[in-house]
Amino acid sequence: MGAYLSVPSWVRNLDSRYRFVLGECTECGGYTFPPEGACVECNAVGTLEPVEPAGTGEVVAQTVIESGAPPEFAALLDAQGAIGVVLVELDEGARVPGMLTDCDPREVARGDRVESVVRRIYEQEGIVRYGAKFRPEP
Amino acid sequence: MREVYLVGAAQSAFGSFPDESYRSLFAAAFERALDSVDGDVDRTSIDEAYVGSLGVGGRQLGLSGPAVTEHVGLDGTSCTRIENACAASGSAFRQGVLAVRAGAADLALAGGVEVMTDTSGERTREWLGVSGETEWERMAGTTFAGVYAHMADAHMAEHGTTREHLSSVAVKNHANGANNPDAHLQFETTLDDAMDAATVADPLNLFDCCPTSDGASVALLASRETAEELTDDPIRVTGSGQASSRVGLFQRPSLTSIPATGDAADQAYDEAGVGPEDVDFAEVHDCFSIAELVACEDLGFCDAGEAGEYVLSGATEPDGERPVNLSGGLKSKGHPIGATGTGQIAEVYKQLRGEAGERQVDGLHRGLTHNVGGSGGAVAVHVFEEGWA
Repeated sequence: MGAYLSVPSWVRNLDSRYRFVLGECTECGGYTFPPEGACVECNAVGTLEPVEPAGTGEVVAQTVIESGAPPEFAALLDAQGAIGVVLVELDEGARVPGMLTDCDPREVARGDRVESVVRRIYEQEGIVRYGAKFRPEP
Repeated sequence: MREVYLVGAAQSAFGSFPDESYRSLFAAAFERALDSVDGDVDRTSIDEAYVGSLGVGGRQLGLSGPAVTEHVGLDGTSCTRIENACAASGSAFRQGVLAVRAGAADLALAGGVEVMTDTSGERTREWLGVSGETEWERMAGTTFAGVYAHMADAHMAEHGTTREHLSSVAVKNHANGANNPDAHLQFETTLDDAMDAATVADPLNLFDCCPTSDGASVALLASRETAEELTDDPIRVTGSGQASSRVGLFQRPSLTSIPATGDAADQAYDEAGVGPEDVDFAEVHDCFSIAELVACEDLGFCDAGEAGEYVLSGATEPDGERPVNLSGGLKSKGHPIGATGTGQIAEVYKQLRGEAGERQVDGLHRGLTHNVGGSGGAVAVHVFEEGWA
């Protein structure tokens, strides 16, 4: 019970799962992630054109989860002892949530530059889900 | 628009009750609510019932409203379950207000119920995340505490909010809740203990987080004509506001404010013909310490970015200029998700009528409740005042 993401609902968003494909609003020029529904800047509907971002940006909020992870990430938390989660303002403009990887999450702070990289996210019903995470820019 | 009166309100005890069911907890709150009315209410005279519940654990996801109202003898009464995450019963209360205003009901029930402590740890963690944005926010590995931790991280960076500011909220609310016999965590804490607690989602620690609780609450709303039959000591609902916003924090323009709170408060203040300076006391949604700070700012009790110093100044203490969370708040009183909104209203009812026992503060005439769903996807704000219009 609880939250559940079906395989079709994951697969239909693969461009955004792997590369953070955004929507650019043809009305106001604002960026929305994911590129569906109403523009987060002006609420216009049906105006989002897909944009391929560079996958780089700046951390605007950071946390390190040390307990209470939901079942899909419980094994990861056990293995790592902590899960770093950031909100990143992509260089194109949209804000996206992402998990930190390839680093000590306690060393990452607001204002740091990060880049996206495809990693294993979690496994559900025997199917591994892949998607983008963030790591510090070299 | 017809006037609306709060003629009764009560909560069951909040806590962990393995011997109780969601139905028996609702029945406890309902019978207490009937007892809280000055006159005698014929339960079959309730025209409409709205029951808030998230359905944690999945025990009765479908028809959980009728399942509890039938249990208290309201078989046949129109009942609708309201789901708005943690704002479920604040939203249920608004439906009751609208029904009485519209003339569809002369007596309406708004309440809520949740049972959260009888499930396994794994199932609880699964359910705690269901009110965040599921497809992207949750899949980034965050938790409910994690989303509020992002707000705290941004608030600390943008406004200079400190660890001490956050922990002061916990110290105050635990001191208040220690005087509330219906609170889940009836103990006080020191600033040192609150500041040094184990990390949950940095920068939030255990004392920045409310507990998960079992409990129920019920409020009874009446038209003026019906209220006149039931009481000589009326509480009027002078303002009702509700707003929604993007469910995911990442899709909102600000990380340090909940826009739906401002929008709902504007509606409620406007209807009541008052401003934040006129509010004598408030029950605000402190699911996390940072949430109470942000609420004080978004409700207009202090300027944006200044809530840390505002709380530290003692302004929100029981003897301060505007007490906040005299009940102990979610932090100490507990947070049975669906029951929280009308639980806040039960505290306002008690305080305005001078029936709050050891935690009673005298001289309160106008109270406000603020109930948030998720990290701000839905917010309900209500303003209450003593006396007839």
